[in-house]
Amino acid sequence: MEVRLPDRPARSRCAELVLPHLNSAYNLARWLSRNDADAEDIVQDALERALKYASGLQGTNAKAWFLTIVRHACYDWIGRNRPAELMREDGTEAIEAAVDPRPTPEETVIAEADAQALMRAIAALPVGFREVLLLREQEDMSYHDIARVVDIPIGTVMSRLARARSLLRRSPLLHSVLPQSMRTAGK
Amino acid sequence: MNCNEAAALLATYSDGELDPVQSAAVEKHLLACVECTARRDDQLALSARIKRDVPYFPAPPAMRSRIEAVLAETSTRSRPVRDRWRWLGAGAFAGSMATVLAWFMGSAVLEWRDGTDLAAEAVADHVRATLSSHVTDVATSDRHTVKPWLSARLDYSPPVQDLSGEGFALTGGRLDYLERRAVATLVYRYREHVIDVFVRPAPERAARPSRPPVSTVRGFNVVRASGAGMDWLVVSDTSAEVLTAFAARLARGDAAP
Repeated sequence: MEVRLPDRPARSRCAELVLPHLNSAYNLARWLSRNDADAEDIVQDALERALKYASGLQGTNAKAWFLTIVRHACYDWIGRNRPAELMREDGTEAIEAAVDPRPTPEETVIAEADAQALMRAIAALPVGFREVLLLREQEDMSYHDIARVVDIPIGTVMSRLARARSLLRRSPLLHSVLPQSMRTAGK
Repeated sequence: MNCNEAAALLATYSDGELDPVQSAAVEKHLLACVECTARRDDQLALSARIKRDVPYFPAPPAMRSRIEAVLAETSTRSRPVRDRWRWLGAGAFAGSMATVLAWFMGSAVLEWRDGTDLAAEAVADHVRATLSSHVTDVATSDRHTVKPWLSARLDYSPPVQDLSGEGFALTGGRLDYLERRAVATLVYRYREHVIDVFVRPAPERAARPSRPPVSTVRGFNVVRASGAGMDWLVVSDTSAEVLTAFAARLARGDAAP
């Protein structure tokens, strides 16, 4: 089968826009799909779409633009492969159903396992909360940019972040690894 | 500012997203309030904890190399292509680059005036779109939506006409590629047939030797026309007579018949 690539100016424009944000793209895809092979497929899908639209783009926030495309590719993938994960209104049902909440005995003792528990707790968050939390905490994205990537109003970014953090603090996976004060702090 | 007011703003403040006036008010409250300060510290601690302990997954080096190479067009190994959708995948990558390079080099050698390759390319685009069921990027019969959508993504503005009165219904548009350039593709329906209309600005150059305006590739009819400042390439499995009349009508634009 033939492969069609856009011409050189489109490809180098795309390279400028995309390569600096490839790590952010892969990280987002990896967190939303939760495994490496699917994350690669998603990023490659996003790249094909980006190639299509890059030549028409005028000066813009390239990171937010590319992550928007990556996010759409993620959700297309989730819709095809894990439709049950698509966010329900009530986050608490999904968080309990997603992962076995009982920490293993080792996790309560070993220091490195703190990181494991936090990671599992975040992975167990419903996808809509997970994505805003990670865009904020890992990518240091402004509320405005998160609103753009996720396509929600800024007010919703704020309330979703608050809910994500609250769910995280109350996650059964973190019973033994967060100090009591941190678990009850915030609303 | 009291504790309730401060608490409501603390998350936004800790994220650095609170405006200067309210930030100052929150800070002033924090100076005098131990509990709110503790809450603020906990929020910062959770953020720091996430940053420190939660893995960040950078792009795997192999994937990054493949992507950089494809975007820079540097690889020259050769193996047959298996699957278009894995053109960036490890196994098919080398083969797909070879196919692309062969195509580029082949195109450079062939006279650009040879219309046969262009017709074949247009038919390939048409077949790919209809087989993948991704015929339109923007699906609407409203030309006032399709035209600006395409114009925003190209460096020209394609004329989009409403020819429903003549039996040709606009069903939408998409971006596609011809001769390595992005091209506006208008999608019409005539009875049960899909018609792809590739329209791009007519180049300003000396008159070309004429190419056959009608050809057939793999059973599809391909009709060329020029008019309204544009080159039109129309592909469909509908009859050559209908398609020729349609292409002429498109090229005439708003001019009187």
